[in-house]
Parts: sequence; structure tokens; C-alpha cells
Amino acid sequence: MTALVTLEHVRFTYSGASRPALDGVSLTIAPGEVLAVAGATGAGASTLLLVATGYAPRVVGGTLTGVRAITARRCGVVFSRPWTQLTGLCSTVREEVAFGAASYGLPPGEVADAAARAMAALGIARLADRDPARLSGGELQRVVVAATLAMGPDMLALDDPAAELDPEAADALYAVLPDIAGAGTGVLLATPDLDRAARVATRVVRLEHGRVVADGTPPRGLEETTVAVIARAAGCPAPYPTDVAALRARVAR
Amino acid sequence: MSGCAVRVDGVRFAYGAAEALRGVSLAIDAGEQVALVGPNGAGKTTLTRLLVALRRPASGRVTVGDWDVATRRPDEMARRVGYAFQHADQQLFARSVREDVAFGPRRLGRSTAGVEAVLEELGLAAVAGLHPYDVPPPARKLVALAGILAMEPGVLVLDEPTAGLDGAQRDRVVAAVRRRAAAGVTVIAVSHDLAFVAEAGDRVVAMREGRIVQDRPARELMYDREALTTLGLKPPATVEVSDALGLRGRPVRAEEVVEAMRGIRWRRETSE
Repeated sequence: MTALVTLEHVRFTYSGASRPALDGVSLTIAPGEVLAVAGATGAGASTLLLVATGYAPRVVGGTLTGVRAITARRCGVVFSRPWTQLTGLCSTVREEVAFGAASYGLPPGEVADAAARAMAALGIARLADRDPARLSGGELQRVVVAATLAMGPDMLALDDPAAELDPEAADALYAVLPDIAGAGTGVLLATPDLDRAARVATRVVRLEHGRVVADGTPPRGLEETTVAVIARAAGCPAPYPTDVAALRARVAR
Repeated sequence: MSGCAVRVDGVRFAYGAAEALRGVSLAIDAGEQVALVGPNGAGKTTLTRLLVALRRPASGRVTVGDWDVATRRPDEMARRVGYAFQHADQQLFARSVREDVAFGPRRLGRSTAGVEAVLEELGLAAVAGLHPYDVPPPARKLVALAGILAMEPGVLVLDEPTAGLDGAQRDRVVAAVRRRAAAGVTVIAVSHDLAFVAEAGDRVVAMREGRIVQDRPARELMYDREALTTLGLKPPATVEVSDALGLRGRPVRAEEVVEAMRGIRWRRETSE
């Protein structure tokens, strides 16, 4: 399948920074995959999202070298703090979710359909008549994802989207990602939460100091989940199991 | 500084018509490490804001040590209670990380001799000369925490201290909290992160809709799946491992789980 984004030897440096935030990154993002980008703070995961979606350097400035081909028609981006992404103009969730799609000038019927489908996909149809300003953080983040989906992106990038959510809301948000990818959208997920990423990722890229140090299909790339770390410390021979079921299977009774 | 007891008696609080606390009573001994858990909107953050006089209860009483919080201003409370906000940007303003961390002790008329040690402890020594907004947001959170620790408060209130942090940063926060706890400081942490609670909390107080619905030793609650489910929580991965392998002694911290796994015989990976 044709890649949505192709990066070859991409180096990106923020204005005024002494070192590049991405340093020689090569990867592709394909339709239908949930690509988790993991790494410590400052490793470059957020920057990779901005570069892959075209926001860097176009919006945030900086210098990019290497090859970047974005063939995705539309890239949606969701950040950690949902209240920063509200329009501030809509008094109901339905209007909020429809706002971006409407701004493309689509016929009202199509906009309403897209919004309804997006709300259903995120499980927030029951919130349609609520005031976005009065929702919980978890509800609000699902509204933001729905509004982004309603615009019909073929790539959806999420930057630690559960950072502000309680565990139930975080689980619910992560759980919809495979369905979104299943509909053909490429999902790019930057997250420090490998335990949650392990449940949804079809591929994991690990970054260190702006470089890709691992890129593979799980369990590859998940060597630092809590279970894997415990297994290693307890003397389990490599490869380390990355979830509880795999760990159990490795114990000789 | 040694810890202070915290008492909350029959406290109610509302934001306009929305009741955030509907009669909350809680007694925390000096030196306890208490985690406040519960869904968004349960009243956890509101409760902690009453402890530092940032909010005043509509009724009921809050005391920290021998101080009645009703008679104290927020700046006085800062001498006893260090409060790290969920969003660090709410409390950073100096021109460098080092100055920001030194501001608190200086403001309290105390020595800034401990500032370098705290910077080192939280892994900030290398960025101490930078402007706080030139370090990434998660590191900013550690800067705010360092500023609080430098004041050496008897009570430490942490609002979602691990949100957005990576593994190494989390480990530093856990170690810092354990060190303060060992020194007798009272720690109250609002957290959605049960893995953090397992590593750094002894007692869990769960809230829902402005009320306390559970108040139990962390070790007990983490193994009570039904109670956790009611609270919308899942056991941390350490407890999942322990349950799956039938480990003894209810280990909750990673090192306890590893210890309890001693003697396990491992199968080699056969299929890849």
C-alpha cells in the first residue's frame, strides 16, 4: 500500500537550538497501521509528529533537511490538552465536532453525517447536545478526536493524548485507535505509556536523542514495558515477555 | 523539616451551584503517604487546594499541624505545605531553572544551600542555567517540583506528579517522594497513575462525586479487583504480574515483585 508519509534521512532543528531534534530519521507511515512512537522526553517523538504532519517547519519554524514526502491528503493532529483545541465558538458537542468539516465548505448534510459518524466512532453520541465547556477532560479529548476525524483525515497524529485523562478515559481513548486505523486511516501515536501502547500498536518506533533505535512489529520495540522490565530483573532469559500473558507462558511449572 | 498531621472535618465546597465537596472528613498522620484517586471531577484537586488556603471551605474545618487553615493566608501556608500543581506552567516565572528553584527558600528567608542538591536529585543540573520555558514541558514539571522540595515543607501536596513524564523522570519522582517520606514528611499525592501510587503510597483515599468512597492501605486495595473496578481503576502491572503468577505476600512495588519471583524457573522462548 502507498505510504502516507515517507521520511528519508530527515534532520530537523528548531530555530535557535544547538542540536537537531530529529537526526537522520527514515521511516514510512502506512494506511491502517497504529504506529506508536516511544521515547524519553526530548527524544523527538513530538517533533516527529510535527514533521510527519507537515506542521514543522511550516508552522513552528526550524530547518528540515533530507527527504520528506507527505502523500496523505489531510493530517489531523490531537495534542495532550484537549481544551486548547476547542473552537470556543460552539455551544454543543455536535456543533464542535462539525465545525472543522463545515469549514471545508462541504454540503450541510455531509457535514452532519460526518459529525454523526465521528461521534459514534468515539462513543460520544450521547454527549451531542452538551456544552463542550462542561465536559470532563476524558469526554473533551474524545470530542477533539471526533472533530478531527469528522474532517476526514487519512492520517491521525496524537501526541500523548491521554496525558490529562483518568485511567478509564485513557483506556477508552486508546481502545478506539485500532478501529480508526481499521477504517484505513494511518494512526501515529506519540506516547510515553508503553504499557497502553502495547495493547493497540501494530508497529513501534523507539527514538533516542532524535534517532530511531528500534522499528518493528510488537513485541519488538516493547522491551521497556513494566512486565518486560520486571521479567528481565527477575532473571527471565531474552527475549523478554512484554505482557502478563506472555510472562505467564514463560514460567516453567 | 518533620511532617505535620492534616485534618479535614466535615468540609463542603461548591463552585457556584456545582458542589465539588459534599462533606469530606479525613485524618492524615504526620509522615503518612496518602494517594487521592478517583475519576476526573471527583473533588481531589479541590480538596488539596483547601489545604493551602487557595480555596476556603463553605463549611467545615481544615488544620495542618496546629494551624487552623481558615486563619492563614496562602503565603503563610507555603511555609508548611509545598504544593506542586498539575500544570507546572502555573508556577514558573524566574529567568533560569536555578533561580526558579531558589525562589521559594529565598522568599521564606531560608538558606538556598539545598538548591543544587535538589536540582541534582531531579536530574536538572544540566539545564539549571536555562530559562524554564526552554526546557521541555515534562522537565518543567520537575522544575516546579524541585522548587517545592527546596522549601523543605513538612507536607508535600503533589497534583498528578507523574502525568506526561517518561520512565526515568518517573523513577526520580518516586525516589524523591520516598526520600521525603523516610524523613517523616507527610505526602499527599493526587494521582490517576496507580503504578506511581504502588511505588510511592501507603494509603489510598478514593473519591467520587465530592465524597470519600474508599480509604484503605494501598496494598489491600490494589488486590481488591472489585473495589478497583467500582472506582474505574485497574491494578498496576506489578499487581497483574503478581496475580498471574500467584506470588505470595501481596507485593505491589516492582522490587517487591521481583523479589517474590525469586526461584522461578524459566522456559526458553520457543516460537518467535
